[in-house]
Amino acid sequence: MPGSVLVVDDALFMRKMLIDIFSQAGWKVIGEAENGEEAVAIYQQQHPDLVTMDIVMPVMGGIEALKAILQIESQARVVVCSALGQKHLILDAITAGARDFIVKPFQSDQVLEVAERVVGC
Amino acid sequence: MDKEKYRNMYLVEAAEHLQAMSEILLRLDSEPQSHQEIDALFREAHSIKGMAATMEYEETARLAHRLEDDLDLCRKRGSVDTTEIDQLLAGVDLLEALHDDISQGREERSVESYLHTLAPGECSDSPVSPVQPEKEEGRQTDGGEPILVRIDLAETVPVAAPRLLVLLKKCSDFGIVLKSWPSLDQILTDKVDGRLLVQLRPRLTTQDIHVQLAKYSEVEEISFPRPTVNSSLGERPHKSASVRVSTGRLDHLINLTGELITIRYQLENALKQQHLPDLDDGVGQLSRLVKNLHHQVLQVRMVSLRALFSRLSRVVHDLARSSAKTIELQTDGADIEIDRAIVEELVDPLTHMVRNAVDHGFRDKKEGIISLKAWRDRDQVLVQVADDGSGIDPQVIRRIARERGLLSAAQVKTVRDYDLYQLICQPGFSTADTVTGISGRGVGMDVVKTAIEGIGGLVLIDSTPGEGTSITLKLPLSLAIIRVLLIESADVRMAIPITRVIQAVEVSPADIHSSGKQLMVDYQQDFIPLLSLRKILKQPKGTKKESLPLVVTEVMGRRIGLVVDRLIGQQEVFVQRLAPPFDQIPGCSGGTILGDGQVVFLLDLQSLLERRKKGER
Repeated sequence: MPGSVLVVDDALFMRKMLIDIFSQAGWKVIGEAENGEEAVAIYQQQHPDLVTMDIVMPVMGGIEALKAILQIESQARVVVCSALGQKHLILDAITAGARDFIVKPFQSDQVLEVAERVVGC
Repeated sequence: MDKEKYRNMYLVEAAEHLQAMSEILLRLDSEPQSHQEIDALFREAHSIKGMAATMEYEETARLAHRLEDDLDLCRKRGSVDTTEIDQLLAGVDLLEALHDDISQGREERSVESYLHTLAPGECSDSPVSPVQPEKEEGRQTDGGEPILVRIDLAETVPVAAPRLLVLLKKCSDFGIVLKSWPSLDQILTDKVDGRLLVQLRPRLTTQDIHVQLAKYSEVEEISFPRPTVNSSLGERPHKSASVRVSTGRLDHLINLTGELITIRYQLENALKQQHLPDLDDGVGQLSRLVKNLHHQVLQVRMVSLRALFSRLSRVVHDLARSSAKTIELQTDGADIEIDRAIVEELVDPLTHMVRNAVDHGFRDKKEGIISLKAWRDRDQVLVQVADDGSGIDPQVIRRIARERGLLSAAQVKTVRDYDLYQLICQPGFSTADTVTGISGRGVGMDVVKTAIEGIGGLVLIDSTPGEGTSITLKLPLSLAIIRVLLIESADVRMAIPITRVIQAVEVSPADIHSSGKQLMVDYQQDFIPLLSLRKILKQPKGTKKESLPLVVTEVMGRRIGLVVDRLIGQQEVFVQRLAPPFDQIPGCSGGTILGDGQVVFLLDLQSLLERRKKGER
């Protein structure tokens, strides 16, 4: 059952791609953010079912934002998005509380599998 | 301390101490006042205690500590009685079970019940029954018996470590995670290989866990391996991935490698100068070195039969005690070395043979001797279990063989006693009814035979009524490199493991007689049937020749002469298993490449002829 999602990435292109994938699959994209600070602010207001979070971003990075969101809502479902080479950042993010991760470049079905799995439980 | 790093070392060393303890206890059984042995036993227990405590294996340390205390009392008193020996043996069994828990990555079982048994001297008038290690069923009653979950990632998963981390965290939704391989630390430092094994006390059923994990497309396989159940008797010697190699042997290997390098330069020089005699000389030295190197490397894999023999001594001791018989076990040749893979395969068959000897060899007697012997004969190792018990009555076997249709009426009359005994290994024989009085003897012997033949060996049975029975195993030294007899049939070269060959001879047509449709040959004052390899392999018929090359071998307990086109000779070959689906070809147990590049298949006469027999019916 698709729910609501917040897409966080500093690259406009990535955001558009993710938004398209989610919208086409029937998800409600409640917002997008280009850095961690914006993401935390939107999360505070909207409490979406899912957040896809880029890790490396200006102003406030993904892991810091993840921790802030978990402060607001300890059960928040955050999935990190990262490039293949940033394995250690992904490990750090999962340790910090990310539910799952998506590796760039991604296929739409991979994104949806992770999203449904995380929200479904 | 990074315990994982030392775990293997602990396991290898503790296994040695445990084996020593069993051996000493069995010696004490016959010499209960030996101060030397009691002291030695005390030291072994002390070593285990120290090692286990360092590794934080608390249950092992507690138990070893208790044994040490008990032994200290015995030491002060200067003797150990049989009840105490049994109790100490039970303690060693429990230590072995704990050793197994550790090596399997399980939580150590509790030693509480053993610790509640009486200390030596506390109560000597009522015998204390030996305490068995806690049973698996007993552990289930504490609820939430830990299970193992094994997750295999698909090879294509790009970043394994984060995936495994997510899965490990997911597992905590299924229950309490007790342990994982790789550990959390290993995952975080990216020391992973696409697999995850988790030990947990589950809250969900395995089915539900499976459903949850199946949602991860990166997961290729989910399984729930069962921890192996231990039995205190006849347990396998501990397999360990690492091998201890003496520094002397390593130095030797290094020297050989050094010599190889020298030869290489020598050969390069000779080649440059086109100096043939030097080249010839170099190749000669090279082959000598390679042979030596090969020998040395094989040696590394060799282990003595000592551990196996001591385990069997224990089996005899326990069985004799439980059946109130006095049986002396004589061992000889425990220092004989053989490939460790073969030793592992020998545990079950030999345990079985020894049990048979105790149970049935001494059916009518209360005391006797079982001898366990090993010796080398060229490229083979022979292991023999013999008893001086009741023996086997050939007439009874004759009758059963006839009843079971294993022999025809005519065969029953002519078959020699020796050949008759080999029939005991026939699968049909093992179901023989219990009133025959030799039951049991045959029970499971077909399993023994299959196991031994599976490693290229041979089982020979001999018996004299009233004097005893002996079963001899003829085994190859190594599984990978064996000696074969090369033969040729219809221009195809094939190899037969030398362990399967009794003799290779050429016979003249004058020695061949026909008995009905069957051709027989006079071999050592005995007529044996001739079978043509060409016919068996459905190759075209050959032309008549002046003499017939023959491979005398034993199949299903009977000697036969296999007629081939040519006997080429013996050779050492490196046997390789055939890859599926070729491993399904009946009658072919492997392949090897000869020096000239030709691929030669290894004939498995047993399965080849069994199949033929079935086809005939």
